[in-house]
Amino acid sequence: MLVDVALVTLVNNPEAKGMTFLADPPRFLFYTGKGGVGKTSIACASAVKLADEGKKVLLVSTDPASNVAQVFGIKIGNHITTVESVPNLSALEIDPQQAAQAYRDRIVGPVRGVLPDAVVAGIEEQLSGACTTEIAAFDQFTALLTDSAITSGFDHILFDTAPTGHTIRLLSLPGAWNTFLHEGKGDASCLGPLSGLEKQRDQYKDAVDALANPTRTRLILVTRAQTSTLAEVARTHDELADIGFSDQHLIINGVFPDEEGPKDLLASAIRERERSAIDNMPSALRSIPTDRVLLKSQNLVGLDALRHLLTDEKGEVYLSRIDTNLRIPTLGSLVDDIVKDGHGLVMVMGKGGVGKTTIAGAIAVELALKGFSVHLTTSDPAAHLAETISGELEHLTVSRIDPSIETARYRQHVLETKGAQLDSAGRALLEEDLRSPCTEEIAVFQAFSKVIREAGNKFVVMDTAPTGHTLLLLDATGAYHREVTRQIGDSQVHLLTPMMQLQDPKQTKVLLVTLAETTPVLEAANLQKDLRRAGIEPWAWVINQSITVADTHSRLLLQRAHNEFIEINKVLETHSTRCALVPLCRNEPVGIERLRQLVRR
Amino acid sequence: MATILVFDPALCCSTGVCGVDIDQVLVNFSADVDWAKQNGADIIRFNLSQDPIAFAANAKVKDALHKLGEDALPLILVDGEIVLTGHYPDRLQLSSWTGIDIPQEQPKINAGGCCSGNTCE
Repeated sequence: MLVDVALVTLVNNPEAKGMTFLADPPRFLFYTGKGGVGKTSIACASAVKLADEGKKVLLVSTDPASNVAQVFGIKIGNHITTVESVPNLSALEIDPQQAAQAYRDRIVGPVRGVLPDAVVAGIEEQLSGACTTEIAAFDQFTALLTDSAITSGFDHILFDTAPTGHTIRLLSLPGAWNTFLHEGKGDASCLGPLSGLEKQRDQYKDAVDALANPTRTRLILVTRAQTSTLAEVARTHDELADIGFSDQHLIINGVFPDEEGPKDLLASAIRERERSAIDNMPSALRSIPTDRVLLKSQNLVGLDALRHLLTDEKGEVYLSRIDTNLRIPTLGSLVDDIVKDGHGLVMVMGKGGVGKTTIAGAIAVELALKGFSVHLTTSDPAAHLAETISGELEHLTVSRIDPSIETARYRQHVLETKGAQLDSAGRALLEEDLRSPCTEEIAVFQAFSKVIREAGNKFVVMDTAPTGHTLLLLDATGAYHREVTRQIGDSQVHLLTPMMQLQDPKQTKVLLVTLAETTPVLEAANLQKDLRRAGIEPWAWVINQSITVADTHSRLLLQRAHNEFIEINKVLETHSTRCALVPLCRNEPVGIERLRQLVRR
Repeated sequence: MATILVFDPALCCSTGVCGVDIDQVLVNFSADVDWAKQNGADIIRFNLSQDPIAFAANAKVKDALHKLGEDALPLILVDGEIVLTGHYPDRLQLSSWTGIDIPQEQPKINAGGCCSGNTCE
């Protein structure tokens, strides 16, 4: 079917008298928020605005999905590049993955071919965690945050990402540096990438001091008008406020414009849902200066689009004809394939906010309705979905694992064992190590491991899964057992490690959930790469909350649907051979009936 | 006093807290090393994931890695001789190598996990 869509004019927030987050800006501006909220676009628009006002601006992008180079029509890369089309603006791209790889090469390079290959591979895996990437990126920031010849000509330096509280606290702990530098490297788990840089300790201290100084640094929290995203940004706010980031601003990006509401049922449902999310946002966010940026129908490419993003000017958008005739299977057809094996483990993976719990719930309900015995295990903190279907269906049991309880229990255990022996500096360091992002993942996975065993005779559906990195670390014991088996002689011993169970597609199916937007697709592709490193091939991709298969006549939504095609095609062509498309719904998909609608579309 | 070199497996950190499980053996060993150092022992630890060159530079360690793979680790050298491969020593062993006495009233740390010292069947 071809839908003909005409020209539409959007008015940017008519009440806005300019954005408060750019009023009297300090030298350093950091934009933070989860993937896909629009940090890079807003950072780019801010940079152009400040440069247009005559300030000398340096824009630093660490976003792997960055289209900064594309927006300005130049090649940037890992050195400061003048943007010819915008006077006063320069840009720099930092690739954290590349920085982490450079670090790994520095450590591992000299022993490659000297130590056995398996040993070298083991070292590389240890250095492939999220902390390595994060610290390697911070290392690159340091020179920009401390006074140096490189940055002296710039009035403002804008970063499209910010370091996490974990990194900053770790760098601020004197204990971390003392053990790390003087007692043989390595007590601080996440400081590895800084090894060999001890002479720069003062530079790291200066960088951390600059971050905590409101006359020098402003933090801009970027969010969408969604309950879970607002909750996440509130946590970031608290964490970074605790370590001294006192000048904070909030931007609610992509707010659905009021005038689109009355025209269409889906549009008005979205608008209502957003309004309620904003009305009920965490109290911590209410006290900080807030700006709203309206949803644009087009992707922000090109200088004109960027200049319109933060102003009150009207933006004209041309909508082209779109082909809505998509032949991508429903979630139901994936379930039809899943039932063929009669039992097994279904792991639904994806970044926060893509709807993992909903998809896991929909699959579990469908399996139960087909008469199979199903155990749905969820770590959804809201527990909303679990409550609405628990006890409602024959064959379906629902259990819930609370990540904060599991993590607290794990921390408690470590502090009671290890902590008892430590002095106060050592204990502070251990506590910080336990705030590392790996800790929660490990604690939750330990709780889930107990449930996994049931998958031998029924279906177990989980709304979370460990990353490939964690699995490879987990498999250290598995590898050992396999070696023992091999030495005994394989015939008598039939051994199955958890890793082997996860690698076998007959026993375990991993579903990657994403949204049809640039950053979420890229994040899902990275998760896939990480799983493949652990020998696990994701069985299918699920593109959730898609407007292309939603029932709408809103022009704004139809143009968004058009933009989704590029991402959907990317998934089909390069990422996955098995894929399902799930529509964006008017109502929150809770309860048996609404979950069924997702499956059948 | 004897010089003790400890070659740890590829650990994310030497406490093991960021690993997949708290390895009680590692927790105990870290505490034992602290205790021995406070009593003047000369102990240096090398972590395979952060200082692999130290492993490659020592002929005995390199040799053991080629023969046994990572199962050779942890590996303990006392005055240049291999005294232990594949598991950590307990406080008693540290005491016998260094000559540091374990005071009677000080409670010995229990080996909670499997195969610490010689308690495991």
